[in-house]
Amino acid sequence: MRRLPRSVHPVAWWIWALGLAVAAACTTNPILLLLLIGVSCFVVLLRRGDAPWSRSLRVYLALGAAIVAIRMLFRVLLGGPGGGTVLIDLPSIPLPSFAAGIHLLGPIYSSSLLDGLYDGLHLAAMVVCLGAANSLANPKRLLKSVPMGLYDIGTVVVVAVSVFPQLAESLGRVRRAQRLRHDAATSRRHLVRMTIVPVLADALDRSLALAAAMDSRGYGRHGSASSRRRLLTGAMTIVGLIGVCVGAYGLFDERAPETRRWPVFIAGLVLGVAGVVVSSIGRRVTRYRPDPFDLSAIGVAAGGALSAALMVWATDVAPADLHPDTLPATWPVFGVLPLVAACAGLLAVVASPAPVLSRTREATA
Amino acid sequence: MSATTRNRPPDRDLVTRLGGSAVPLGPRSVVALVLASIAGLAMFAWPLLAHPATGGQAHAGDAPLVFAIALPILVVIVLAQFADGGMDSKALAMLGVLSAVDAVLRPVGAGTAGIETVFFLLILAGRAFGPGFGFVLGCTSMFTSALLTAGVGPWLPFQMICSAWIGCGAGLLPRRVRGVREIVMLIGYGVVAAYLFGALMNLYFWPFVAGTDLAEHANLAYVPGASLWTNLHRFGVYTLVTSTGGWDTGRAITNAVALAVLGRPVLSVLRRAARRASFDPLRSAD
Repeated sequence: MRRLPRSVHPVAWWIWALGLAVAAACTTNPILLLLLIGVSCFVVLLRRGDAPWSRSLRVYLALGAAIVAIRMLFRVLLGGPGGGTVLIDLPSIPLPSFAAGIHLLGPIYSSSLLDGLYDGLHLAAMVVCLGAANSLANPKRLLKSVPMGLYDIGTVVVVAVSVFPQLAESLGRVRRAQRLRHDAATSRRHLVRMTIVPVLADALDRSLALAAAMDSRGYGRHGSASSRRRLLTGAMTIVGLIGVCVGAYGLFDERAPETRRWPVFIAGLVLGVAGVVVSSIGRRVTRYRPDPFDLSAIGVAAGGALSAALMVWATDVAPADLHPDTLPATWPVFGVLPLVAACAGLLAVVASPAPVLSRTREATA
Repeated sequence: MSATTRNRPPDRDLVTRLGGSAVPLGPRSVVALVLASIAGLAMFAWPLLAHPATGGQAHAGDAPLVFAIALPILVVIVLAQFADGGMDSKALAMLGVLSAVDAVLRPVGAGTAGIETVFFLLILAGRAFGPGFGFVLGCTSMFTSALLTAGVGPWLPFQMICSAWIGCGAGLLPRRVRGVREIVMLIGYGVVAAYLFGALMNLYFWPFVAGTDLAEHANLAYVPGASLWTNLHRFGVYTLVTSTGGWDTGRAITNAVALAVLGRPVLSVLRRAARRASFDPLRSAD
């Protein structure tokens, strides 16, 4: 018997993408960053399905290009510091004194422009890596793996994602009714009002019907937790949040004692998360067709984790490879370790099966 | 009490009549919300908070990364606390449907000079269903629209908490104001919220876009370790130059126009739904 084709666990794709993003965060070497962008695009092109969210990679690439362009533009417009060759010597325009002594334009140095390019690529690579996860992981399946403490919020987002396409149909119905009634909508303002209000009213009516259906099937319900457990989770959450508050402000206050900074911040976050976990323990909700975190998912996640781990290791072993000089401008070179780190993400292609397309699914059915 | 209740006009929503709310805000949820907001504000304003004496040089690099991981955890903790306070299936379905409508509205204005169509529905829903509902709707609508159209990125938790504050604040406005004065009040709130949202998101993006100025060179970049006043001044100029003229004003105008044109009918639709759903306070006492 042939196994049904199944997709990789969405959490695995997110771990993979976050690993690549961490690797990108470690370096400003443009060739390594371009390699990371290339790896994520390559994997997306080979492994994405044909769902609406799978087509989003182009948007992220455009966003990355915009980030690079904006950062370089800022360097030109605000005449950043730098040295080396003067590419173009623009006149400097000093602004009045209320503007904090800023001057616009001025000479454009090669090092300043290169710094802008590297910084922009650094951010763009992280954005494209996260975008890759966006187009590979199925958000509906991802929401099924939220912890029980967030079951309600997960349900809200699932409802929203499922209702989204129905709104277009609702809009079509309202338009058709208006055409049949032959409403001569004179002003544009009137038209907007005549469309949005009925669609919204329809959507809200639908939500009440949906709530009734959910009630009758036991959705959105979970056994009420005991008051002792709720008191415990509430106390853990609040004490944890107080820790986060103290830590978040202490981090930047050099006069604060060492214990009021990182230890308090981390401990507060951990305590808060523990509160969520404790509140999850008491709840039991059955799941329809859970995604197993199988061997292919482990392989995909390992690819990203390996990439991040090797790149973090490289910051110790070969820091010069990761941050090339811009003054004087040198051709960025790097050793084997950063190269392997940048390419480790390709492991995901080997580990994951070919994507399940709705067309092939219909063909096999 | 009973006599006055009977004499109240029929269009009163249940939030006022019963003192209940679609998403009940228990004392624990309120404390968690306030604490998370205080901590969240630090994560936006960290460039301004670095102490001048010895400077935050060591933290200038890692702070944005740490906060980009910490803020989503914070949002999750608060939402879990809200859910623990009890939301029934009607509130869940209502939140889901309104998030979907917001996700449809978002790309309508995206890309055209600051026309931001998300906030007016958020403000009206927060007004009609109460602050707890507004907070959760702010989070879920941003998250849903990110999943469906706008894209998930490191900026998402910051947008989520900003819009959650907007929705929550709309629910906290004085409840007695009705009629034309209510719409005027909401328009005023919408304009203020538009500029505040712009300033906060700018504060978050500022060190990324303008870069970090380590060489004491005079431009709009953030100077780690400089005094609060210096950085605030630089940020003020940066905001004025980059966004107040275009994006923020565009957002404020969109909010004002949408609330003026659609405020009345949408509010009455939402209140009708609230009446039919009858979010009663007895339910959460089980």
